[in-house]
Amino acid sequence: MKKRFIMTVILCFSFLLQSGCWSRRELNDIAIALALGIDKSGDQYSISVQIVNPGEVAAKTGTGKGSIVLTQTEKGETLAEALRRITTKTPRKIHLAHLRIVVFGEEIAKEGIGKTLDFLSRNHEVRADFAVLVAKGLQAEKILRVYTVPQEPIPANKIFKSLETSDKVWAVTAIVTLDELISDIANEGKYPTLTGIELLGDIDSEAGETRENVERMKPIVVLRTANLAVFKKDKLVGWLSETESKGYNYIRGNVKGSVGQVACPNGGKLSLEVIRTKAEMHGKVIDGQPQVDIQLRIEENVGDVQCEIDLTKPETISLLESKAEERVKGILEGSIKKVQTKYKSDIFGFGDAIRRSDPAAWNTLKQDWDEKFPDVKVNVNVTVEIRRLGTVTDTVDTK
Amino acid sequence: MGKSEQQLPLSSELVRNIQRIKETLGNSTDLVAREFLIGSEECVKAALIYTDGLADSRNVLEALMLKLREAPLKQDLSASDDPLRLLKDYSISIGEINPVSDFDSLFFAVLSGDTVLLLDGHAEGLIIDQRAWEDRGIKEPSSQSVIRGPKDGFTETLRTNTALIRRKIRDPNLWLESKIIGRVTRTEIGVMYIKGIVSEDILKEVHSRLDKIDTDSILESGYIEELIQDETLTPFPTIFNTERPDTVAAALLEGRVAIIVDGTPFVLIIPALFSQFYQASEDYYHRADFATVIRIIRYICVFIALLAPSLYIAITTFHHELLPTALLIGLASQREGVPFPAFVEAVMMEVTFEILREAGVRMPRAIGQSVSIVGTLVIGQAAVEAGLVSPAMVIVVSITAISNFVVPAFNMAISIRMLRFPFMGLAASFGLFGITVGLIALVLHLCGLRSFGIPYLTPFAPIIIEDQKDNVFRLPHWALLSRPHLISQKNRIRQAKRLSKERVK
Repeated sequence: MKKRFIMTVILCFSFLLQSGCWSRRELNDIAIALALGIDKSGDQYSISVQIVNPGEVAAKTGTGKGSIVLTQTEKGETLAEALRRITTKTPRKIHLAHLRIVVFGEEIAKEGIGKTLDFLSRNHEVRADFAVLVAKGLQAEKILRVYTVPQEPIPANKIFKSLETSDKVWAVTAIVTLDELISDIANEGKYPTLTGIELLGDIDSEAGETRENVERMKPIVVLRTANLAVFKKDKLVGWLSETESKGYNYIRGNVKGSVGQVACPNGGKLSLEVIRTKAEMHGKVIDGQPQVDIQLRIEENVGDVQCEIDLTKPETISLLESKAEERVKGILEGSIKKVQTKYKSDIFGFGDAIRRSDPAAWNTLKQDWDEKFPDVKVNVNVTVEIRRLGTVTDTVDTK
Repeated sequence: MGKSEQQLPLSSELVRNIQRIKETLGNSTDLVAREFLIGSEECVKAALIYTDGLADSRNVLEALMLKLREAPLKQDLSASDDPLRLLKDYSISIGEINPVSDFDSLFFAVLSGDTVLLLDGHAEGLIIDQRAWEDRGIKEPSSQSVIRGPKDGFTETLRTNTALIRRKIRDPNLWLESKIIGRVTRTEIGVMYIKGIVSEDILKEVHSRLDKIDTDSILESGYIEELIQDETLTPFPTIFNTERPDTVAAALLEGRVAIIVDGTPFVLIIPALFSQFYQASEDYYHRADFATVIRIIRYICVFIALLAPSLYIAITTFHHELLPTALLIGLASQREGVPFPAFVEAVMMEVTFEILREAGVRMPRAIGQSVSIVGTLVIGQAAVEAGLVSPAMVIVVSITAISNFVVPAFNMAISIRMLRFPFMGLAASFGLFGITVGLIALVLHLCGLRSFGIPYLTPFAPIIIEDQKDNVFRLPHWALLSRPHLISQKNRIRQAKRLSKERVK
């Protein structure tokens, strides 16, 4: 009994000694990677990692001299190899669990990103909740090397937050996470889109890579999330414009809030804030001809009146509603037309809608869906309801 | 102390008796043997023997001696067959008087503060209760204070304590049994319970365990607690102790047994359940909803006190992905430059806190302030500024310490405090996995504990739905219809249901 007790105590204490050789990693032994950039460099992959320099983040201990983040780039035959090779440049092991964004360079996006996704989804450390972006006309590395606004000094955070904010109030971008991207690539009937990111300003100078960039009132180089990239399978085929991106988001029901204008009857403009949308998509096959009905319901508030109009009259409101309906319908049809004629890639998920309503027909259609997609007849139906007029009825009298 | 010698009967010669008493006590100076004469013509030699400081010496001399001297004026003492009885019946106006015929009882009486009257020519004496010593008086309990509720606390005197309980429960069924435990200290122990509510089995068990105690001294109820508890190899207390008469009264009404030990204000309550340690008497004096919220907060605090440091260690060394990114970066920036692993850091800080806490209890009041200043500066600021620990760790240690003091029972708080160290070790070795395994082991251990035959986790496990009315939740008094199930198995109804329903309207 006594011997057993002593043995138990010794065993318990030996736990404490063993702790050194477990997968334990102290916070100051890991390099927290917040952004990953993936590019092609000849036959090899080039991977850029944006690592936080925690000492500089804290306002108190930061010296203000070092950089808050550090971007390191390495090449390798595979992503895993390139990533490990980065440790030759950093003292700590790269920790991928907190990735906020992954950026693909436009070049690799055009060649196809499918092969790189395996590493990201297979690695146990990587969570699938980061946003995947495409650098518009650039190498991803460039994007990760730019200093950003002082309110969000960590560029990866800045980009992620910009995405979140514009997603809520402007709706021309979309946060596409890794699992959504993979399922879009793998599934038939819906091709992926990714949000683009671009640099504005003096792109070719290296000024964006210095702290000076953010110390100026007007930064030399600015990061901007831009419009949507259209993919066919895993290959980038082109870009949508701002309005077309918004149209895409309306159709997919991604719009949480946005703003649109309508022309007033007597000239001038009036803008309406979108406060709620609900989109439904139904597919059907009539005489072997696939058709899709899109039903979009929008609730709006009056946001900005720049004309003479009497908003107190119910007729005015219904007039505005029908104008807004027309306008939104135009936006949707515009983006559908562009995608159908130019890119021929079913990013809207029409195939999916048809599969849901008529699986048998889909089985035959899916063989050459890419050819059939441009001919899909789309019926768009938009209803707009104006809810609130704001805190004033009449606009500022300038007469 | 040879018992056989002590059992010697008193001699009939007064001088020899007094001599023997003095010899046995080694002529201790606080023993007083006042010899005097009773009677006017045929005098009888008598002596009053008492311990100075334990007996009310003024009363002994003024009331007792004067009365005794007057006695022969009315009766012829020397002619009587039984003069002691005569004195008892006619002269002594004091409540408790018992005859004594052997030295053993005589010494016990004298050393307990009684006065012994011996007469020459009689091998018998009278024990007269004249106890009066300086005591602390009834003060507010220092260990279990309340905002609302009675503010009296037990004292070191057994009699005062039983009186305080009687003042709360004026029922003839409130019984008190006495025992003397401790060969040298001969401490008086009172076992109190309400006949008809208490479970006879538990009472029998209490008696049998108390009777088995064979020790030379009982200086505090903690001695008794350790000698009669069910399980020694456990960090958890299985006997409750309190300084508050209202807590004891409430426990007695639930069918529990109270053990009152002379010489300490801490009264033991048996059986004790896990949940009891998280309930304060105040819970029943405040509104029920408020009491419930407070109880829930207490249970949250137990988890914080037990697990906060280990969770911090586990998450910052194994599970970085569990933290929001901004928080992770914040913590990482604090840890920059800290030379120790999180585990060592945590142990260092927790031990420092324990040292400060212990110093706070032990040190003389006068220097308390300087120690607390040093403590705050050492823990709070200097250690952080010197880069030995991270500020987040200071927060973790502080919240742990403060949460710990929320537990109303001090002995349970100590258990929780001790247990957090093994949990920190588990967290440092195996992360959250280790903590989970540790928690499972802890719950298994708790499930195995018994307090006088009652499962320690009652009414959580075995779950008793009816008893949940006063467990984590405290329902209003009109809903507290019955006594706890397992403790009192008879006379379970506290109030009529009909009455409570009327009250709802």
